[in-house]
Amino acid sequence: MTAPSTQQVLDALGQIKDPDLGRDVVSLGMIKELDVSPQGRVSFTFELTTPACPVRDRFKSQAEDAVGEIPGVTGVDVRMTANVRPAFMRPKPSEILPGVKQTIAVASGKGGVGKSTVAVNLAAALRKSGATVGLLDADIYGPSVPVMTGSQVMPQQVNGRLLPIDAHGMKVMSFGHINPGSEPTIYRGPMVGKAIEAMMVQVDWGRLDYLVIDLPPGTGDASLTLAQAVPLTGVAIVCTPQDVATDIAVKALQMFRKLNVTPLGLIENMSWYVCPSCGHRHDIFSHGGAEAAARRLGVPFLGAIPLEEGIREDADKGTPVVLSRPESAGAKAFVQIASQVAARTSIQSFRQLPVINVH
Amino acid sequence: MDVTWEDGTHSTFTGEQLRWACPCAECRGEAGAPGRLSRVQSLSDAELRIRDVTLVGQYALQIAFESGHATGLYTFSLLRHLMA
Repeated sequence: MTAPSTQQVLDALGQIKDPDLGRDVVSLGMIKELDVSPQGRVSFTFELTTPACPVRDRFKSQAEDAVGEIPGVTGVDVRMTANVRPAFMRPKPSEILPGVKQTIAVASGKGGVGKSTVAVNLAAALRKSGATVGLLDADIYGPSVPVMTGSQVMPQQVNGRLLPIDAHGMKVMSFGHINPGSEPTIYRGPMVGKAIEAMMVQVDWGRLDYLVIDLPPGTGDASLTLAQAVPLTGVAIVCTPQDVATDIAVKALQMFRKLNVTPLGLIENMSWYVCPSCGHRHDIFSHGGAEAAARRLGVPFLGAIPLEEGIREDADKGTPVVLSRPESAGAKAFVQIASQVAARTSIQSFRQLPVINVH
Repeated sequence: MDVTWEDGTHSTFTGEQLRWACPCAECRGEAGAPGRLSRVQSLSDAELRIRDVTLVGQYALQIAFESGHATGLYTFSLLRHLMA
């Protein structure tokens, strides 16, 4: 039997659809370095749009099955790789953060719902999947990222620019690095905007697949500055299940909608608690509020994270729980949510920003 | 100024049209006080000529005119409304 043509292989692979992008993987340019040997051995590279792809394993077996069924194929060799694509197709790279492919904001509207914990673990989970990741703490008044990442050191300055601090393989920058200790930052609104801009422009972020931005609570200066300074890939909204939190989360989401920033979805934190002594599950802050709000607003629900002592303990010790206790329910939830966020983010790579010409 | 939107449609705006539609507080007025555009009858050439346009995040354009006026952020929905 003769070996199949490359076109036959591409036709077979063209049957595989990306569930998030809604198109087949061949026209999306995910199949690379295709080779068919005269003996019928097929080998190719399957390039995902994110290393945190939630359907990575499914794609691999679908590809092996589809190609394996072609008459004349004696073996299939699939190499799975990932290459994060920049958000938005645009004529020239952004002047702010030119080396950053995707910017993901984490916001909540309401304070105290675990935004920073989610941002830190989201970043750590993306890093763990193999992506290059930065974490920008945009909370000027209450920076918590230095403690949560164990990176309480002063950043170094090179050629007038600050170098982000390396923490668990991530590049981290917070106002808590610049103004450490117990001295408060006493700033009026416009100064907050300037400080956030400086952390984007005056920090040498280099090349990153993802920059996760931990926003302070509120729908004012910090969020507005950020949404004006860079075309954000999207925003993930964190809330706890009870009404008083979801109501404010909805406000935050609607603010970003007004600014044309894509809501990646809602995350429910402190969703349940399993008592270590009786093993009983308690819904301390109620349960399912975020999922119901997401449904009401027509945005994806990204997942729920349990209330676990380990998450808090390890955050205080400076290691995100996805790294310190990868087998815990909390860590698994974070990893799954990071995959969902990465998948939603990939969709933005195929969008075109408006092109403006003045003449 | 030509704009190609995300959905592929094109729009063309003149500097004059955009200057008179400036949404900033000085031009529109604020706190009940009328803005500059409701008080003047005409604008000079330098006020109507576009010098530069920058994208604001992904929801608006900041348009700078030769006169130096650049405080208006034209949201995409405002621009779409203007072309209709």
